[in-house]
Parts: sequence; C-alpha cells; structure tokens
Amino acid sequence: MNWFYFASPSTFYRLAGWVAPWAFAAAAILAAAGLYMGLVVAPTDAQQGEVYRVIFIHVPAAWMSMFLYLVMACYAALSLTFNTRLGAMMARALAPTGAMFTFVALWTGAFWGRPTWGTYWAWDARMVSELVLLFLYFGFMALANAFEDPRRGDRAASLLALIGVVNLPIIYFSVQWWNTLHQGSTVKFTGTSMHVTMLWGMLLMAFACWMYAMGATLVRARAIILERERRTRWARAL
Amino acid sequence: MNHQYYLWMSYGMTAIAIAVEIATLALRRARALRAIEAERDLEAQD
Repeated sequence: MNWFYFASPSTFYRLAGWVAPWAFAAAAILAAAGLYMGLVVAPTDAQQGEVYRVIFIHVPAAWMSMFLYLVMACYAALSLTFNTRLGAMMARALAPTGAMFTFVALWTGAFWGRPTWGTYWAWDARMVSELVLLFLYFGFMALANAFEDPRRGDRAASLLALIGVVNLPIIYFSVQWWNTLHQGSTVKFTGTSMHVTMLWGMLLMAFACWMYAMGATLVRARAIILERERRTRWARAL
Repeated sequence: MNHQYYLWMSYGMTAIAIAVEIATLALRRARALRAIEAERDLEAQD
C-alpha cells in the first residue's frame, strides 16, 4: 500500500469524510452498550456503593487523555522528521479532543474523590501529573496558533508535544513511584480483580471514547485542511 | 450530599463537554466553508 497517497490533504480529506460518520455511529452504539452495562447491569460496589459508577467515564477518559497525547506526539514527530503537512494538521486536530478528555478525567476524578477520599483535590502525584498534561495540551494549542505563519506554529508546537511525552510515564507510574492518595491500576495486562460486568462496561466505554475521538479528530482535521488549502483548486471545487 | 449528585455532576459535565466540542467542530467547519466561498467569489471577480 502506498501510504504517501493518503498523506495528500485532498485524498485524506475525502477518506476522513467517509470514516468520521462511521466512527461516530460506532461511538454511539458502544456508549449505549457501555452505559447500559455500567449503570444498569453492573452490581453495586460493596465498599463505595453507587458512586463507583463514575469509573465508567473517569477511567476511559483518563486512558484517552494519555493515548491521544501519544498519538499527537507521533504525528508531531512525523511532521518534524518528514516535514509532512498532514502530520502537523493531525497533531493540531488531536489536541482539543485530548484536552477535553483530560478535563473530563480531572473533573470526574474530583467528583469521585469527594465522597470516597473526602476531598475534590489533593496535590497527589497522579492528579498533578494529569493536570500538567492538560497544561501541555493548552500549551500546544496556544503555541500552534501563536505564529502568523502556520508552518512555524506547527514546528514549535510539535517540539513542545515531543518534550511533553516525558509526562506520560510519570502519569502512568506515579501510583507506583510515589505513595499517592490515588489508587493503583485495577486493570493490568496480567488481569483484573474487577467483576466481569464492571470490566465490560468500562471496556465498552473506552472503545466508545476511542471511536468518538477518532470521529472528532477527523472532522477537525477536515476543517483544518479546508482552512489551509482554501486557495487550492481542489478545495475551491468542493 | 447523596451519591446521585456526584454521578450527575460527572456524567452531566461529560455530556456538556462533548456537546461543546461537537458545536465548535460544526462552527469551525462552517467557517472554513465560508472562507472557501469567499475565495471563490474573489476568483469570480477577477
């Protein structure tokens, strides 16, 4: 397969236009199934009661916040290494959705923390490193739009995205490296102690968030392509 | 405060965040299409 064919903005614009509605449809179906599983089927937690059901949005949002940053950094690296236009556009398209998921993870974490820990916020390593991730997303967006020449903005923001990658292992391992208020990982590659319906509810919601992020990013990437390519013949022919 | 409040605040804010993102996506696309329309008009004038 010739991947460079898809790196052309005009080709990618059409491909993204075809994929995005399917991604949104998949997100809606998966979210409906995940919410049913999480809010109706999954049993009440023996210790936390009903409030543990925040997990079905908090954990998928936190996973997506880190995953999207990693994907954004990969596109930033592609853009810097090969000077690809599409790589920079995709990095820009991912940032607002990544920031949204980071905000949701912090917000839902606060509303889970209050009834279980007795506080909305603590200066805990996991929470602070997640907050730093939100600031990295904001910094990326601000830097990308701070230049009159968008290509200069792309380069500066891509560099910041690559530097910020160092925060991802800090977030992930913070609960092991430091004695934190935040609990350790419940779901590991080696297995989980969760009830099977709780696990399925969470996984379905994680896939729903993934599909939503794909759809939103592709729609935003299409808008960015139109903004940048508006003077080209193919864009004017739309 | 009962647990429902914390659940509603969590799921409610998530719904609002997604709604805001979808609205901004639609606005951005509409603005980009208007810019192309303007380019087309400029070309027609030339």
